[in-house]
Amino acid sequence: MVKMANKKTRGPDKTQANTSDIVVKKLDDATDIVRQPPVFTNDSKYICIASGRQIGIYSVESADKVHSLEEHTFDVIGLAIKDDNILLSCDASGETIEWNINNGTTLKKAPLVVAGIKEFHSFHYPGNGKVLVATPSTYTTNMSSLWIVDSHTRPRKLFADIKSTPHSIAFGCNQGNGSLVVVALQDHSVVVKDITNGVDKKHMTDQRKFTCVALHSEKLIMATGDISGRILIWHDFVHKSRPVKTVYHWHTLPVNSVCFSSEGEYLYSGGSEKVMVKWRLGMSRKQFLPRMGSSIKYIVNAPDNICVATSHSDNAIRFIDSTNKINRAIIGLVKHDPIRGFADTEPIKESVMPTGLVFDPRSHGIFFNAQAGFLQLFDPQKNSLIFNMDVANRNVLTDERNLVIGNAEVLRVAVSPTGEWLATLEVWSNMSAGYHDMNLKFWRYDAVQANYELNTDVTMPHQDRVTALCFQPGLLGTEMPCLVSIGRDLKFKIWRLVDDTDIYRQKESWSCDVAGDFRKLTPSALSFSEDGSLMAIAFQDTVTLWDPTSINLNTTLSHTLVQEPIELMEFGRDNCFRYLVCASKSALYAWDVISQGLVWKVGQLHSSVRCLVPDPKSCYMAAVLQNSEVFVFSPSSSKPVHSVPKMNSSEPIAALFVPRPNPLASGPEWLINSRLLIVDDQQEFLCVDDVSSAGFNQKLTTPISHMDSLPWTPFSAMKAEKQISAAKQLVPVVHQTSGIQGYKSVQSLLETSASALPPMSRICSLFMSDLMIKHGPKAVTAKVNSVDRTSTDLPLSNGHIDSKTQDFSEETTLQKLLTLDCQWLVETVK
Amino acid sequence: MASFKKTQIRSLPKIGQKVTADTLYWRKLNFPVTVKEFGPIDYIDVMPIEPYFIAVSSAAKVQIYNPITHQVHRHFTRFKEAAYGASIRSDGKLVIAGCDEGHVKLFDIGSKSLLRIFKGHKGPVHRCKFTTDNVHVVSFSDDKSVALWDLPSETEIIKFSEHSDYVRAGCVSSISSDLFLSGSFDHTVKLYDARSPTGSTISVDHGSPVESVLMYPSNSIFVSVGGTELRVWDMLAGGRLLARVSQHHKTITCLHLASDGKRLVTGGLDRHAKIYDVQSYQVVHTLDFPSPVLSLGITPDDFTVVAGMANGLISMQHRQTQAEARALNPKQSLKVQKKSQTAYRFRLNADFRSVNRTFNPATDVEVATKTDTNFVSRYDMFLRKFQYSKALDTVLTPYIRKKKPAITVGVMHELIRRNGLKSALAGRDDSSLSSILTFLARNINDPSHANIIIQVANTLLEIYESSSLTPQSEKLFLQLQEHVNREVEYVKHLMEIEGMLHILLASTTTQARRSSTYAVQGSPVKPMLPSAAAAANATMIFNVG
Repeated sequence: MVKMANKKTRGPDKTQANTSDIVVKKLDDATDIVRQPPVFTNDSKYICIASGRQIGIYSVESADKVHSLEEHTFDVIGLAIKDDNILLSCDASGETIEWNINNGTTLKKAPLVVAGIKEFHSFHYPGNGKVLVATPSTYTTNMSSLWIVDSHTRPRKLFADIKSTPHSIAFGCNQGNGSLVVVALQDHSVVVKDITNGVDKKHMTDQRKFTCVALHSEKLIMATGDISGRILIWHDFVHKSRPVKTVYHWHTLPVNSVCFSSEGEYLYSGGSEKVMVKWRLGMSRKQFLPRMGSSIKYIVNAPDNICVATSHSDNAIRFIDSTNKINRAIIGLVKHDPIRGFADTEPIKESVMPTGLVFDPRSHGIFFNAQAGFLQLFDPQKNSLIFNMDVANRNVLTDERNLVIGNAEVLRVAVSPTGEWLATLEVWSNMSAGYHDMNLKFWRYDAVQANYELNTDVTMPHQDRVTALCFQPGLLGTEMPCLVSIGRDLKFKIWRLVDDTDIYRQKESWSCDVAGDFRKLTPSALSFSEDGSLMAIAFQDTVTLWDPTSINLNTTLSHTLVQEPIELMEFGRDNCFRYLVCASKSALYAWDVISQGLVWKVGQLHSSVRCLVPDPKSCYMAAVLQNSEVFVFSPSSSKPVHSVPKMNSSEPIAALFVPRPNPLASGPEWLINSRLLIVDDQQEFLCVDDVSSAGFNQKLTTPISHMDSLPWTPFSAMKAEKQISAAKQLVPVVHQTSGIQGYKSVQSLLETSASALPPMSRICSLFMSDLMIKHGPKAVTAKVNSVDRTSTDLPLSNGHIDSKTQDFSEETTLQKLLTLDCQWLVETVK
Repeated sequence: MASFKKTQIRSLPKIGQKVTADTLYWRKLNFPVTVKEFGPIDYIDVMPIEPYFIAVSSAAKVQIYNPITHQVHRHFTRFKEAAYGASIRSDGKLVIAGCDEGHVKLFDIGSKSLLRIFKGHKGPVHRCKFTTDNVHVVSFSDDKSVALWDLPSETEIIKFSEHSDYVRAGCVSSISSDLFLSGSFDHTVKLYDARSPTGSTISVDHGSPVESVLMYPSNSIFVSVGGTELRVWDMLAGGRLLARVSQHHKTITCLHLASDGKRLVTGGLDRHAKIYDVQSYQVVHTLDFPSPVLSLGITPDDFTVVAGMANGLISMQHRQTQAEARALNPKQSLKVQKKSQTAYRFRLNADFRSVNRTFNPATDVEVATKTDTNFVSRYDMFLRKFQYSKALDTVLTPYIRKKKPAITVGVMHELIRRNGLKSALAGRDDSSLSSILTFLARNINDPSHANIIIQVANTLLEIYESSSLTPQSEKLFLQLQEHVNREVEYVKHLMEIEGMLHILLASTTTQARRSSTYAVQGSPVKPMLPSAAAAANATMIFNVG
């Protein structure tokens, strides 16, 4: 009990000492570029894109970023081109900034003053110094009021209770005389205001809700889309109370965006069908651009009519040229659409980013879900997308009007310790049809082609949903790679690479080696010890330890104190290799796998543990709770080294320790070699990092050698990664070499089968000359030493365990249960 | 991105013999032409130069066959008793044969005249060979001796009598005229050098009576067969054993090289001829014969394979020529022809369009390769247009339904994914319904497709359960039910057997554990997975039955 009391007092102390210089940062660059519609410059050479607090100016020709404008402190809510090369932007706090597009400099900053309102929804600039802003509606939530702000008159409220999406406000129709018409959408009606002539109109149709509106900049026509997929073209809607309407109906799903071409000849429309429709107004002709990858959010037409930009929900902006072809794209990090079509019994955490974050040791990137059936690799160092890979290789299916049609989703990803193999599990299920499909795919990285090649595709690897996939880590897993999968069909399966080579071809493929079960219990979690010599599988509250090579059950661990089903389980790393940390719904506890006793337990957690992530570079581990608290602890003891209080309302989904390219000079031990990355349910990246290690955008202290980025060639493979030239070792080598002069050629002669040898007469002279001692100038021998990456690993050999027994014997007195419900978690929260 | 991805057709690999380049190559042999002789065919030798005459020794005569016409070109009958091991000289002019009375006789193929008789053996001579210099003859006799003879002077040069049993196998080196091998029933294979008359240079023990020996053209390896084993020896390493292969289950009698020395063929009393890869000694193909094979001959161009059998049959098989293949399968060949024509036209157009006007079809033939990547099948075309019923119709044509059920299942799978199966199946008339039902009944017990077929069957039953059916469709539904019932019965049996096996496995593992002191609690027995058919049927019981 004394010990426990000690811990209670000491624990928080240490925490406080560290909190001061550890901060939680938001990763900015990963934000989406499609939240606001992009804006073309007047000469159609550049496109301005708002992404979070930044504005990017991209070249339309090359889709490359020209300038990055970062002055706003809040999210940008609207962009507009003021003059030929002046960009006007406004953020959510109402600060407007004017930028020079050509050189990216700030020209003017001014706050918007609208009746003391501090929050703004959207921003539009019709011209002549007039500004339209939408502010939150005073009475109804999720609605906006539209204000017109002029430099010399008081802000005037145009409409109240209009929809707050950027599509629902449009302006234009100057009809050659400079008049301005503003329209806005309410749920079932369109409100129209002719500002110059002071005409008000309100048009209503049937019960279909409007989704988007567009006005032509000069002609008096308006287009509206609604949730049934119908597009209405309104003629002379300002003056007549019952204007003439034309119906264009092709979409089955709600129309997300409509846009006129600058001459008013064509109308572009798009929605969740992933098809852009180009209508010729006044005629029945229409053109389609199908399979655009992802549903269309905005369509923007360039002023010179040369191209059209479409913003897609997969965080990409695509440029469509006049021949109706996609020719360029700006692609950002893709947000994963929550999976639909699964059974209701599925927990929510499975629906958003089900793969979690998986570290790729080869590229030092992170794998996680992209759009349905895709997987993306993200480089956290450079904050950029490395690639987006199509795992399912299926046509992306769109929903029908009253029918959700699911797509294949990547549910689990595992990467082999060397990064050579990638295992993906894709699931497609249609609960209305009562049918589901599952594919386990093994991909091999081809260093020459620099991409992943599909090696094996297993249909229905388990009869029911697969819970976890894990490659055997450590040295043992490198030569004979081995993957373990557990599923809800109560089985665990071990997959091994099988050499299938015959005289015709070289081939390797994966096949199931062993399928096992344990007392007909559901396996729930899976973990390997760091060196891969021990495999732990949790079956409800019982932990089973297996020898992965022989598949013998070593031990089962269970205790009356821990009877909840285990949800997460991880082995400790480094010098905590012997501890196995398990998390159940309300408790966190650790087993010692050598003494086979429960070491500590923390019960009555505030909320359940969402992720349990070990740091690969140190012995520490982080537990991320559902209420976004984070605790960093060493598995050997229950007291946390660091704790992060509740961050915000969002719920964490996945976490990962990302190794740093070069260690920090100072800081807490667990932050020196890596930092903690957390993704929340909005799929925003948060980073728990030291203050001193500046933001992600800072330059790396050591430049990445250009050699790293080059593809491999046969010659580079021959070249050692590191060469040490030691002139000292020029000591007389004659003595040594004389003994083994020609050793190689003798050996090769002996090893080559007689049938493969060339005629003796041909190799004789060569062979003899090899045997002769040469008296030429001695060559400088450089000792070539290839760096062995894995040498630092501590294999869990017997010797290693024996060396540990000394300090272990002290613990045996406290064996079984050292601390009981020390409650620190509860207290730190309070 | 904008391209339509084709429907994935999953076809599981067929269990059984894999189709490899070798099986295709050796399967191209035509139906054999057989000739009946009076006695067992002792030896077959093929003339190494065109026209590849075949010397067959059986009973008391040696016959030279023309491999094309299958007619006897020459026959030599001047033997009192049986003739053995006739072999043709490399220039194709002379033939030599041993006989029961211990003589070795030399004939001229052109004039049929007997030119020389080598006397000196006391026992029958079963094998005799010309050396590479063409002026010496080696004979292997039952008097346990091997003799080298000078052709012009008809005299014996050396005689080795080292064997302790009949010498029934022998061959000469293809490089040196002084080296020759003998294999005897005393289990040994000996290598002789005529330049060292003291005795054999290498002697290896085969382990069973040696029936045939062969030296590789490189002269560094030799092979011996006898018993059910094939052994490979390294000559340069002084007779090191390189490989032991046992693929026949009866005595191997003959040995031959094929495919330009890349394949080795052995024939045995088990009526098979096995073809091996000479690097790995893996069997790449097996030829079957109606009777025990005693001798084999393969022409150097692999065009003719001749096998002599114990019942006196000679089987001669020719490789199929292109003209023959066309005659046999006119439809397919027409397609091939058409394809080549279009390819040529395509080539021509392509080149005329390009800048290079100096097009010469004769020399620039390899310029164009037409790729079929843009080919979109009909069902994909309909799927692309969301015409699900039509897509299903295209894959229910008799040809696809019967020959390529994987395509039909693939499209059904895609329809399930698209949630369009119901609309594709609904509202069908009698004839199209019957084609679906027959397809389902035929494939419902195929484990690789059962998953999807059951889903389709369930949907079909759901749609048509309340509608009135014609007697014909009703009959087909009943037939489907019968198929399902039979399968369920079958799976029940299998599960019973599985249960029995479980008991056996469990008892053996517990015994094994009891014997070892290693005590583990609850070590898992590798549980046997239900087969795909069993698993599919477990669900079927719920759904259909």
